[in-house]
Amino acid sequence: MPDPILSLRRLCQVFDGFTAVDDLSMDIPKGEIFGFLGHNGAGKTTTIQMLTTLASPTSGTALVAGHDICTDALAVRRAIGYVPENVRLYDTLTATENLIFFARLSGVEAPQARVREVLELLDCTYLADKRVGGFSKGMRQRVGLAQAILHRPSVLFLDEPTSGLDPMGIKMLRDLILRLNAEFGMTIFMNTHLISEIAKTCTSIAVLSHGKLVFHDRIEAVTARYGDDTALEELYLSLTPVGRLSEVA
Amino acid sequence: MELAPSATWLIASQSARFVLREKTVALLAALFVTLVLISAWLGWQATATVDRIYIDAAAFLQKSGQPVPSNPVLDISPLSLMRNMSVYVALIGALSAIVIGNRLVGLDRKAGVLPLIGTRPFSRATYAKGKIAALGGLILLLALIAGVIAAATFLLLPAVVPNAAQWAQLAGFIGVSALYMAIFGLVGLGAGAAARSETVGLLVPVTLWLTLTFIFPQLTANLNPTAAINPISALAPLPETPFFHAAAQFLGPFSLADAYKFASAGLLDYLPQGIASPAFVPPLADLMLATLLAATFAWRALTRLSMAQGDYNV
Repeated sequence: MPDPILSLRRLCQVFDGFTAVDDLSMDIPKGEIFGFLGHNGAGKTTTIQMLTTLASPTSGTALVAGHDICTDALAVRRAIGYVPENVRLYDTLTATENLIFFARLSGVEAPQARVREVLELLDCTYLADKRVGGFSKGMRQRVGLAQAILHRPSVLFLDEPTSGLDPMGIKMLRDLILRLNAEFGMTIFMNTHLISEIAKTCTSIAVLSHGKLVFHDRIEAVTARYGDDTALEELYLSLTPVGRLSEVA
Repeated sequence: MELAPSATWLIASQSARFVLREKTVALLAALFVTLVLISAWLGWQATATVDRIYIDAAAFLQKSGQPVPSNPVLDISPLSLMRNMSVYVALIGALSAIVIGNRLVGLDRKAGVLPLIGTRPFSRATYAKGKIAALGGLILLLALIAGVIAAATFLLLPAVVPNAAQWAQLAGFIGVSALYMAIFGLVGLGAGAAARSETVGLLVPVTLWLTLTFIFPQLTANLNPTAAINPISALAPLPETPFFHAAAQFLGPFSLADAYKFASAGLLDYLPQGIASPAFVPPLADLMLATLLAATFAWRALTRLSMAQGDYNV
């Protein structure tokens, strides 16, 4: 396996006695589009929050682009971009004003020029001077993606990026993710529970169930072994038993 | 080449700009400035009227060959005509500071941008420093406006000319007023960061302000709420009862509105002879200690604010 850009070592997160992430260890090589699958409440978002340094692990650690999330949080933040599930921005500002603010906070030199460049890259220059308050979910997602790549991160974390998007929006976002990965070599870590998206976008997948890693493999190996989307869905359901899911619900 | 500003400066300047765009903040700040203007005008008008009457009376007395007494305007310190300003600082100034402090962090929490800010390459301490710097800047701005209005009043009044020491006292009064507003601003900032909901984040500091401004003076100086906002009545001697002496001694250090009135009265030369703050901590030291405590609270609340789950549920 090539050098991992993400290396999780016995990562745990416990909230008031509830184990959200349980002893999670895995390596993700550079340049992957990694799909992190799991039912609601499986611990996917908590994992992303730890990897992006938004939350500290209860125990264990992880290396992100070679930096320890527990001891070198600032270096981790320099190396990553993050798009939360619901992208929220300053509604009273325009897209450009929001992006310039976040670019400056990320230490981007010549922020105005970089913001223009990113808006062009994401084909959303038409949003530049509009106030974010009136944006649809898809528009927000685009600006959210723009703020995450302003400083040219090596790893991009996307938390349920297609949640709430219409089919057109999903396709548009998928194309952008593929482009960022192909043109800039960005490693993408994507939380999702959309099996169909995983097959179309990801190069490797892992399944988390009740905080535990129950599956991790490359997508070619998965499709060779289990076949098309339907088989992939069956695999996913077999790894997250219905009985256990009803406990979560 | 464009110079990269520090993260603290970016957070401070952006936060201050956002807060100034808020209608509630703009309204309260405008109200504060208006009341300060009114207090300056009232002081100016009263002094100018007495001065005019004196000039007419002096001319009459001179004509009739009688001795002319000294101008009463010159018998009192010119600074005392600014005493009403202390009332507006204690009332609307402190309230404005609470709202400013609350909005400085509340706007980020309401907008839901904490996760985006929390993944930028700077520490939580930098975020806290930026917010406190923004609060400091906005409060200094309010105090500076009050100072400019006071200075302009003296410059426009020909009969009243403060000397160098009095100008320094006026600057001291503006500084103490900024310190007093900062206490409430820091409490507003801390509560805005610590509280789970926006409403609680605002109600807690407002309740504290009401308690310190209207309830504590009743216990420490036997003042009714209406008298508590009077800059003069707070400076009357305490009733001769053991309860008020004990309450003034022990609750006095917490009665910040009283401490501010005593400090202001001393600086603006209207503290009556023989009257001193009954609290065992001197007023200025009391205000400084309170600022330190409020700053510690704000710092802890800001550095502990969860960037992952700190957004208001809106």
